[in-house]
Amino acid sequence: MITVDKLGYTYPETARPVLREIDLNVPSGQFLGVVGPSGAGKTTLAQALAGYIPHVLGGEVTGRVEIGGLHVVDTPLPDLVTRVGMVSQNPFNQISGAKFTVAEELAFGLENLGVPRQDMLIAVREVLRRLRIEHLAERSPYELSGGQQQLVALGAMLVMNPDVLVLDEPTSQLDPAGSRLVFEALGELRSRDITVVLIEHKIERLAEFADRVVVLVDGELRMDGPPGTVLAAPELVEWGIGHTRFTTAAVRAGGRWPSGAALPVTLDQALAGFGGAR
Amino acid sequence: MATLDFYQAGRSRVHGWNPVTKLSLSLTLVVTAFALPVLWWPVALLVLVLLPAVLASGVQRRFLATMSRFLLPVILLLFVIQGLFYPGGGQVLLTLGPLSVHADGLLFAARTALRLVVLTGSFLFLLLTTHPGDLMTALVARGLPPKISYVVSATLQIIPAFRQRAQGILQAQRARGLRTDTGLVSRVRALVPLISPLILGALSEVDERSIAMEARAFGSTARRTSYTVIPDSTAQRLARWLMLLAALTAIALTTTGVVS
Repeated sequence: MITVDKLGYTYPETARPVLREIDLNVPSGQFLGVVGPSGAGKTTLAQALAGYIPHVLGGEVTGRVEIGGLHVVDTPLPDLVTRVGMVSQNPFNQISGAKFTVAEELAFGLENLGVPRQDMLIAVREVLRRLRIEHLAERSPYELSGGQQQLVALGAMLVMNPDVLVLDEPTSQLDPAGSRLVFEALGELRSRDITVVLIEHKIERLAEFADRVVVLVDGELRMDGPPGTVLAAPELVEWGIGHTRFTTAAVRAGGRWPSGAALPVTLDQALAGFGGAR
Repeated sequence: MATLDFYQAGRSRVHGWNPVTKLSLSLTLVVTAFALPVLWWPVALLVLVLLPAVLASGVQRRFLATMSRFLLPVILLLFVIQGLFYPGGGQVLLTLGPLSVHADGLLFAARTALRLVVLTGSFLFLLLTTHPGDLMTALVARGLPPKISYVVSATLQIIPAFRQRAQGILQAQRARGLRTDTGLVSRVRALVPLISPLILGALSEVDERSIAMEARAFGSTARRTSYTVIPDSTAQRLARWLMLLAALTAIALTTTGVVS
């Protein structure tokens, strides 16, 4: 469970806060989507949830972030990494460089935590299987495609069995094939008892996965609700986030979209709505 | 993408030795070659130890190619300079106009060259037959700080990645009209628009890379365990102690003047 209470954050040597008065409660097992325009503070929020703020990046934090009852600011990072893992945008920078094969790369965090080898073998094998990357186990992480590297980065977090996984636009630097690999893996995560926070600009994808979506604009939470409501809200256009193609199609369809019906955010909803109108 | 290492995969028994045994062997060869001031000793090490080990590991082709590429010019230069300009003088073997070739100079060049061959050959043997990851794992298990291991491993892997990125930047600059094919001056000039995006890009990634390490509990104070098991044996442990003894004996023989 994630509890964020009046979180504010200002980067070192800057005056303007990037996050302001954020309140957010995410129950265990929920898949939360976060959207917002560039510069809204999405990555900063992700780093605050994962504890990199302030432990790695410094700066001034106000308010509280708790992960499973642990106060993030007061908890040393090595104690947090088994509670919360984060996957960021650039797959290349998430490869440690310390290990020469994918299997070793996955085990790196467990080695640092002193996990017995037998447990490591089981955990690594399980993550390789779950992400369907057994065939990459003996390859160098640097020989992989961007999508495969991002799966390894995701696996490196999953292997530590965190309660919460924060994903900061994990497909933003990937080609369509790489994005598909990552989203397939995220689909797998939905079936596990893990809390996922996915920051994603591909809102059509978010609409498929998220149980709930929040909108961050200029460091503040402006909207919070089910994907069908939030992602179809007219304010999203004004804030520079935009709508899914399905919402846009329904809006442009005018009278051909059934009156009174909620605007669609997924293909299935659009098909059902347009089918009904025919 | 290739790494910077020399490792040549193989299934020989030498490949299966514990990396610390191979490192000990290399260090012992170098220490004794430099400690004992006897001309034939490096030759004996080469013929009786190093070359058989290289042959047994099946890496001889790359070993010889690398050795000759690195050492032949150095050795040639060594003989020319020491033969002609050795300050000790000694018997003149040959006179070429104003220049004389001295026997002492050639002897000094031969001794230095043989030591260089042992030094380079020993470590090349280690690098050719030992995967760098295994070497680092074995050394960390024996107390090498993980941060040093990380610096070595990351350098071997990330530098080639940066080389690839540099190629990409260069291609992008060429697409904008940068000329790099018209001689030395244009090549040197091309470095300026290459270096700044490369260095600035690397610096901007430092935070993210540091986060990636912290996310794997790299800063943890827990006693580290290892996913990879590096095989070892009583015979190898005994061999390592004997090698240490041999190196210490060589140093003792020289420092006490028994061998001079």
